[in-house]
Amino acid sequence: MRGENRESRPTFKTKHMQTNIFIRPLAALWLTGLLLAGAGCNQEFLELKPLGQLTSANFFETEEHAIWATNAVYAHLRDWQVHVFSYIALTDIVSDDADKGSTPNDANFLNDIDNFTFDAGNVAPSGVWAGYYQGIYRANLAIQEIPSIEMDEALKARLVAECQFLRAYFYFNLVRWFGDLPLITQPLNPDEYQQSRVPAAQVYALIEADLKAAEAALPLKTAYPPADLGRATKGAAQGMLARMYLTLGNYPEAERYARQVIESGVYSLYPNYGKIFQREGEHSSESIFEVGAVALETGGGGSQYNEVQGVRGTPNLGWGFNRPSDDLVAAYEPGDPRREATILYPGEVLPDGSAIVEDNPNIVNERYNQKAWVPEHPGGNGNGPGNIRLMRYAEILLIAAEAANENAKPEDALGFLNAVRARARGTSLTILPDVTVTDRLPLRARIWQERRVELAMEQHRWFDLIRQGRAAVVMQSLGKAFVEGKHELFPIPQTEIDLSGGAMQQNPGYN
Amino acid sequence: MSIPLILSSYRLDWRHWSRRLGLLGLLSSLVLLLPAQPVSVSGRVTTAAGAPLTGVTVRVEGTPNGALTDEAGQFSLRNLSPEAVLLFSYIGYKPVRLPLAGQTRVEVTLREAAFTTDEVVVVGYGTQRKSDLTGAISSVKAEDLTRIATGNLEQALQGKVAGVQVTPVSGEPGAGAVVRIRGIGTLNNASPLFVVDGMLLDDISFLNPQDVASVEVLKDASATAIYGSRGANGVIIITTRRGEMGAGGTVQVDASYGWQEVAKLIELADASEYAQLANETALNEGRPPSFDDPAALGTGTDWQDVIFQTAPIQTYQVTAMGATEKTRYYVSGNYFGQEGIIRGGKFQRVTFRVNNEYTPKPWLSLGHNLAFTYEDRINGPNVLGNAYRADPTVPVYDSLGNFSNTSINAPIGNPEAQLFYNNNNFSNGYRTVGNVYADLKFLRHFTFRTNFGLDFNQNLGRSFTPVFFVSAIQQNQESRVSVNTARSQNWLWENTLTFHKDWKNHSLTVLGGITAQFFDFENLGGSRINLPGDTREFFYLSAGELEGQTNFSGGNQSALASYLFRANYSLLNRYLFTVSFRADGSSKFGANHPWGYFPSAAVGWRITDEPFMAGQRIFDVLKLRASYGVIGNEKIGAYSSQAVVTSNLNAVFGTTEALNNGASIITLANPDLRWESTEQADIGLEMAFLANRLAAEVDWYRRITNDILVDVPIPNYVGSANNPVINAAQVLNRGFDFNLRWRDRIGGLDYQIGGVASTVYNEVLALGEGKEEIFGGGLGVGGKLGTRTVVGQPIGGFYGYEVAGVFQTQEEIDASPNRGVEAPGDLQFVDINEDGVITSEDRTYLGSPIPSFIYGFNFSLSYKGVDLVADFNGQMGNYLINAKKMARFGTPNFEASYLDRWTEPGSSDSEPRVTNGGHNYEMSTRFIERGDFFRLRNLQIGYSLPESLISRMGMSRLRVYAGATNLFTRSPYSGYTPEVTSGSVIAVGIDSGVYPIARVYQIGVNLSF
Repeated sequence: MRGENRESRPTFKTKHMQTNIFIRPLAALWLTGLLLAGAGCNQEFLELKPLGQLTSANFFETEEHAIWATNAVYAHLRDWQVHVFSYIALTDIVSDDADKGSTPNDANFLNDIDNFTFDAGNVAPSGVWAGYYQGIYRANLAIQEIPSIEMDEALKARLVAECQFLRAYFYFNLVRWFGDLPLITQPLNPDEYQQSRVPAAQVYALIEADLKAAEAALPLKTAYPPADLGRATKGAAQGMLARMYLTLGNYPEAERYARQVIESGVYSLYPNYGKIFQREGEHSSESIFEVGAVALETGGGGSQYNEVQGVRGTPNLGWGFNRPSDDLVAAYEPGDPRREATILYPGEVLPDGSAIVEDNPNIVNERYNQKAWVPEHPGGNGNGPGNIRLMRYAEILLIAAEAANENAKPEDALGFLNAVRARARGTSLTILPDVTVTDRLPLRARIWQERRVELAMEQHRWFDLIRQGRAAVVMQSLGKAFVEGKHELFPIPQTEIDLSGGAMQQNPGYN
Repeated sequence: MSIPLILSSYRLDWRHWSRRLGLLGLLSSLVLLLPAQPVSVSGRVTTAAGAPLTGVTVRVEGTPNGALTDEAGQFSLRNLSPEAVLLFSYIGYKPVRLPLAGQTRVEVTLREAAFTTDEVVVVGYGTQRKSDLTGAISSVKAEDLTRIATGNLEQALQGKVAGVQVTPVSGEPGAGAVVRIRGIGTLNNASPLFVVDGMLLDDISFLNPQDVASVEVLKDASATAIYGSRGANGVIIITTRRGEMGAGGTVQVDASYGWQEVAKLIELADASEYAQLANETALNEGRPPSFDDPAALGTGTDWQDVIFQTAPIQTYQVTAMGATEKTRYYVSGNYFGQEGIIRGGKFQRVTFRVNNEYTPKPWLSLGHNLAFTYEDRINGPNVLGNAYRADPTVPVYDSLGNFSNTSINAPIGNPEAQLFYNNNNFSNGYRTVGNVYADLKFLRHFTFRTNFGLDFNQNLGRSFTPVFFVSAIQQNQESRVSVNTARSQNWLWENTLTFHKDWKNHSLTVLGGITAQFFDFENLGGSRINLPGDTREFFYLSAGELEGQTNFSGGNQSALASYLFRANYSLLNRYLFTVSFRADGSSKFGANHPWGYFPSAAVGWRITDEPFMAGQRIFDVLKLRASYGVIGNEKIGAYSSQAVVTSNLNAVFGTTEALNNGASIITLANPDLRWESTEQADIGLEMAFLANRLAAEVDWYRRITNDILVDVPIPNYVGSANNPVINAAQVLNRGFDFNLRWRDRIGGLDYQIGGVASTVYNEVLALGEGKEEIFGGGLGVGGKLGTRTVVGQPIGGFYGYEVAGVFQTQEEIDASPNRGVEAPGDLQFVDINEDGVITSEDRTYLGSPIPSFIYGFNFSLSYKGVDLVADFNGQMGNYLINAKKMARFGTPNFEASYLDRWTEPGSSDSEPRVTNGGHNYEMSTRFIERGDFFRLRNLQIGYSLPESLISRMGMSRLRVYAGATNLFTRSPYSGYTPEVTSGSVIAVGIDSGVYPIARVYQIGVNLSF
């Protein structure tokens, strides 16, 4: 067959001339293609920038970027995993102040928290673990990147100090829940992902250093314009230092920092205890640090803190978790108005008078945390408007009282303690008389008792029981399966141990 | 037999022939340019036994001219060059190529070819005779694809090709499929590259399967390396139909209608069983029981029955096609409609296609393949999980006729209410995919081709949620409408130059090319709240309030530039050599390594053409081929190597509670991202015996993927909100592909038996960056990690505790290794490391999600007018995690398997006491099930009316048929279907609730004029 090639060859000379007619346009086309691809090799064709968004390549370059990155750390304080479901579980529900609440079957993993049957797979510890470390990441990034931005130096120092305060806050809760921690102080590179836990003392050293730096650089609350309320302040840093030293049993330092807050003259007790937790009590004279939240039509400013604790049923305000316990109800002195301000019962009128809480037959022994109550707001409860109060002046007074008592200054302690009682008492002449005992142990007991009722359902109780070394006694007396030497700390999430490549060890007692 | 079969079996596309047979083809076209004296030619075509063959296509090479033989096997052609070359083809016979060399009368004998080794196969940037192939390429013909009741071509490929695993994404209307070629070697998006008429695409949902003429699956590196960085997952080349010379034009009408029903239901507890189990759960978890008298509750509500329906599926097509001397045309219109077997969902598609080719000059041909598609979807709510979990003791409606609250015992919404309130999610879109090309021949040996392709896609999505209240967890307080539109387009320009020359014992084809492709995507959308009404005329942004409105717009772009080269050389027509090379530049990889280089080489040996084989009578065909090459994968996000800033991380400050802008980098990027590359070796043997009635093909392959790109879970303490893509591992896949076909004719009975099978052995060879293990797969309530990838095991192997049995008594617990949390009735785990306690160290490898054996086989026969086809397929050796059973918030409904639970010593040693969480929900063999299945994929019987009868009505063909798809499936798996797809290669085989596949009964008619 192929022989034909030869035979037809002579004809090709003629052919050639014909083909040459169109070889030129053809060559031109070919060249066009070549040029096109040539352009491809040029950087322009292949170097494409992300559209419509900033990238690591052009962020952290202006003052605005510094402010945005700092604000992003604050925004995380409203996060589900930081101050909502798991947070409430590991502070109130686990303690003697509250039970799981809601309908019996909803969110069983919280039953495990309530009953001390949780293991390393439980969602609540892994939730706060992830949420708090995400906050630490945002803070670390800002602390690392902001200093090199050319901007107003005073503002720069303040923003970095704010992020240090927030980082310390995240670590402080984590170290109290989990003990030894991976200590991450800057964004990690992929080759640094395998981290082991460092002793809690090292974590506290970072918290202390961050808070002291923040304390030195941050302005007083009164120095901020009203539009900036909610940012970390010198007072908040001092208060957090007082809380930390109290936790560590360093009473002289706890007292010193608590007194600095008190003597700053910035704060005072808000006259009406119940109103502190309502709209009018947001950023009140008593507020030292609180997380701003707002229900906008657009969303994007609320938290679910109110929703998970809201009335379940009618009126329809939430899911009904975090039910104040019988033990808490019984803990108040006769006539203490703080009980009514803290606990919302079926049949009770809502604080704004808008409705009566109807009995929900699906909830056993129905009660709600009234401090988390907010009126209805647009878009449902996921858009909760209630600010989350993280530190009040009353707590500082009680820290001062407790530390002064331990520092052998019972009279001073009584002064701080009775100030708190006086505000709770209001104009009544019959309830909550002044405490007068001056012996250290009975006074300590009175101060602890006062802390419990004053700060009830504000997520302090569990940390207090652990710090005071009596979690086992208290919880076991309520019939809870608390195991001493185990349940003082929560388990490190099993997934984290797996993903650390075995570098992290589990807390004792959790297999 | 149908037109598509003829088309696809003998691709008499003269452009391809002339390129492949280069010089001769060129010659004949050149000859035509000369003022040669035209001649008339006549002839006769017979079988080897001398019987005349009717309907043989006779075609003049290099021209669109042709004819068909009549009943006596006679044909005649006029106006031919005396040097013309005639091509004879007929289904089931080897084609013959005959140079006239001045003859005017020819006698041609066609030989039967059960295995048509000389069929033309489409390869990357060209075509080749199958006998010339050095790579592993499987072809599927149209008639094998259109019998499945689906609007999706990938689903139709299931069980058709050795080495290809097709898993339907779901049974949802219009759903696609995940296609994996030769095991898992690559990242999340392991779908192959699709090349439709030369246009490179990642998504072929626009394609109407009835417009497809043939599908070629390119499996080995020799075949795919010409696609470079996009070839690692295999390449599927789809050729759509085109007009053929025949007896004038043809008009076809095809219609089918089918009924779909859920193929299998999950056995769940009924009301009284549920109440009994719920009470025991409460008891076991220290709560008071919820139900006073479980037995009195009866069967209650069957929520699966509430959501499933029998749904129609239908398709109608009109096609007109034909060819004249200088024009070939194919025009079709198609409607495809499918409703969901879960109420609410619906998919409709209208497709028009125009494939034309023009030959204005012998040296120039140009043409276009254009498809216009309109799609309309109603995206039903994802109600399946709620139907699986909803409380069966609660009726659909309460006594007042309102939707019942199903969330008392578990936070599960009422499925019926969900179907009612959440069923306003619509989308529609237009897509145009097509290409325009021109072929120019010059200087005897050269062909220049330029091809410009475009894929333009415009989509509009719209969703609306009304105000409603069913329960605390199922409510919406503000009506909301969202509207968004997205536009994506990509253009491809390819310029190739082919040189072909034959001389003496040599034949050489060289291809060089330059291509560029650019992708552009942009979207725009917004939402508003508080609409004035709940009906469709209000589902527009303008109807909502200004306050609370949101909007967005975004976009991304990427670009690819490539150089390609390939040479095919054949010596003595039996030693075949191929080398190819492609260089790809991609915008997705950072400025440091934008270019990747992908070479391949292959050899083939046609042993039966050796002189020493001349005398043997065993083999009709015996061919050996081997290939090796490197291919790549660039399927990562457009900007994966750059971290982006997340905005709207706003803080609330001040007594006025104003939002303060916040933004930060909260997700990690990987600036060190490298190309993923795959080395693949392949050895293949092609054989045919017994006068080509038995054909067999075996391939051995070994494929190593380096720097596999995976988004690997990282510890949460790193603080990232995502998992960055990293080059994580080196993975081996190896195995065999088998293809066997027997075809014969006994009297008037034509029949064929075929089978494909493949084995996959998957092993991780190395992990990157000093890692010893990679965990994956978030399961159950806590997102437990159920897979662990380590060296020496399959990628994404299941990992957890091995169950030894159920602890019957406290004494047994105390005497055995335990975790310290077990109570009687709880699972006993095996103490793998034999340290006397059960800890997380006792978790072990529990099985592979990757099937070790995938197979399909089919029977077809035709006798007189009756035809019958049965397709079977299946897979073996893989396991699944029944993850939906692990996730229990509250006390949702139970699978029926819970009824075998432990209640007292001696009651069960396999199913533990009932709980909702805790010890018994640790990842263990309790949740692992076998994923084997064997399925009658398709059964169809048809009858073609005798031509004598229908020709009077002006028809050339009238066939009616009835069939069924997925008629039965045998599988030990308890879920809806063992075919579970996954987003990630380290989380494969995890069933968290997959949309069930449908069984379809179908009737239809094929009409030709």
